[in-house]
Amino acid sequence: MIRVALPASRDTIRALRAGDMVLVDGEITITAGLPTIQRLVECAAGTRRLPRPLDGAALFHLGSYSQETADGGLEILYMNPTTSTRFNPLMPGLIRHFGLSMVGGKGGLDAECAAAMAEVGCVYLSFLGGGAELHTAAIREVVSVHWSDLVAHYRLVTLRVEGLGPLTVGIDAQGGNLYADLAAQAAAKMPGILAGLEAQRREQA
Amino acid sequence: MPITYDAMKRITADLYSWSLRKVPDDTKVALARARDAETNQVAQRTLDIMLKSAIAAETSDRFVCSDSGVPVYAIGLGTRITIDGDIKQAVVDGFSELVETIRPPLLKHVTNPLTNERGYHGRDMPIISWDMIGGADYVDITCQPKALGSGRWAALEIFSFPSLARIEEYVMECVLKAGSQHCPPVVIGVGIGGSFGHCAKMAEYATMRPMLSRNPDPTVAAMEARLLAATNLTGFGPMGTGGDTTALAVHVEYASGHGFTPVAVAFNCWINRRTRARLHDDGRVERLE
Repeated sequence: MIRVALPASRDTIRALRAGDMVLVDGEITITAGLPTIQRLVECAAGTRRLPRPLDGAALFHLGSYSQETADGGLEILYMNPTTSTRFNPLMPGLIRHFGLSMVGGKGGLDAECAAAMAEVGCVYLSFLGGGAELHTAAIREVVSVHWSDLVAHYRLVTLRVEGLGPLTVGIDAQGGNLYADLAAQAAAKMPGILAGLEAQRREQA
Repeated sequence: MPITYDAMKRITADLYSWSLRKVPDDTKVALARARDAETNQVAQRTLDIMLKSAIAAETSDRFVCSDSGVPVYAIGLGTRITIDGDIKQAVVDGFSELVETIRPPLLKHVTNPLTNERGYHGRDMPIISWDMIGGADYVDITCQPKALGSGRWAALEIFSFPSLARIEEYVMECVLKAGSQHCPPVVIGVGIGGSFGHCAKMAEYATMRPMLSRNPDPTVAAMEARLLAATNLTGFGPMGTGGDTTALAVHVEYASGHGFTPVAVAFNCWINRRTRARLHDDGRVERLE
């Protein structure tokens, strides 16, 4: 298990390899909302004010339930990943503009995102879907919540976490990509799998 | 004693709340078995974390997944029951009351498909399928919340007089298309035949069957076993980051049709959310899952 403290150097990020499992400490920024990612694209284009700096940030596709506490603070009741591929068309621009060091969620990102990640030195981390209790337990502080006009899981939330994970490096900054490799391998295996099904049908007929 | 509005309202709300907090016992057993059989180290660890997450949520009585989905019910009405009150409205009212009171609170996932606005309420929500159960003196209710991993990757195609080879090939095409996306290892439900709507319903209901139950028809049971083994040869693995366990079960149902033969494939993500209870006409609630 590799422990990564944020902000991490590009060398640290580039040393991670697809298939590594990591625990993350430090500041992360999260959202599960397509409207939020669209707003960030507007920020990158200079047509909307960025509510907090994101240079070199870890930006994860995680949804959370945030609410005000009795003393006027903020708390996160739970958080969990959403499907990253929903954001494929918008992520390459964000990765390059902000020089993101980490992205993540579940299900991976496409080849164009992976190319942007390799350029800037960024990795994709796979979170356990259905891991709300484990992920939430790593939260130490709610640093900020922006865009509260959106439903809770769409808000741009920055947290300080300790020991977040284990998370699997799905795409590394050196061209390693579990999702692309596994999809290609499965497609290549399919003629053999179908031939195996045919053989079993004949045997069982 | 009739099936009342109040009883129906309470049990449907409870079933949804329970479904969010517990991975079914049969699914935990299947995950543990998969863990023991796995040869991929990342997959072994991922399955360990899945089991840990399931136990953590159950112990703390909190949600396994933040995406509580939308409430979907399969309700079978026994033909021997008597009904007192609008038990259809009871399901709607039960959900409305639940979203106000449930702890922790739910995120807003009910989505207007025309505007993408999200809230707690919307047209035809909860989604209910009503069936009749011949001779029964109870109402049988299954709740299966639907979110991305349990809804997004379902597919249906209509063929003309397809061979078994083509049917099974289509199932594998759906497995390949879903790939790493639906929080595997999944339960796969397959419907074959009937009409467009009936076929989709068979596939969805098939995902609700108890884990590793076999279709009583040996021909279909053999197909289930073949397709499970074939799916696990793809290598997508737990959370789609590689391994031997892409599916925990494949359940197949079929119905006679015309010869234009729909084939539907539905998935339920690894947490396999489903709860089930019977509401008896003597007032008893029997929780089955």
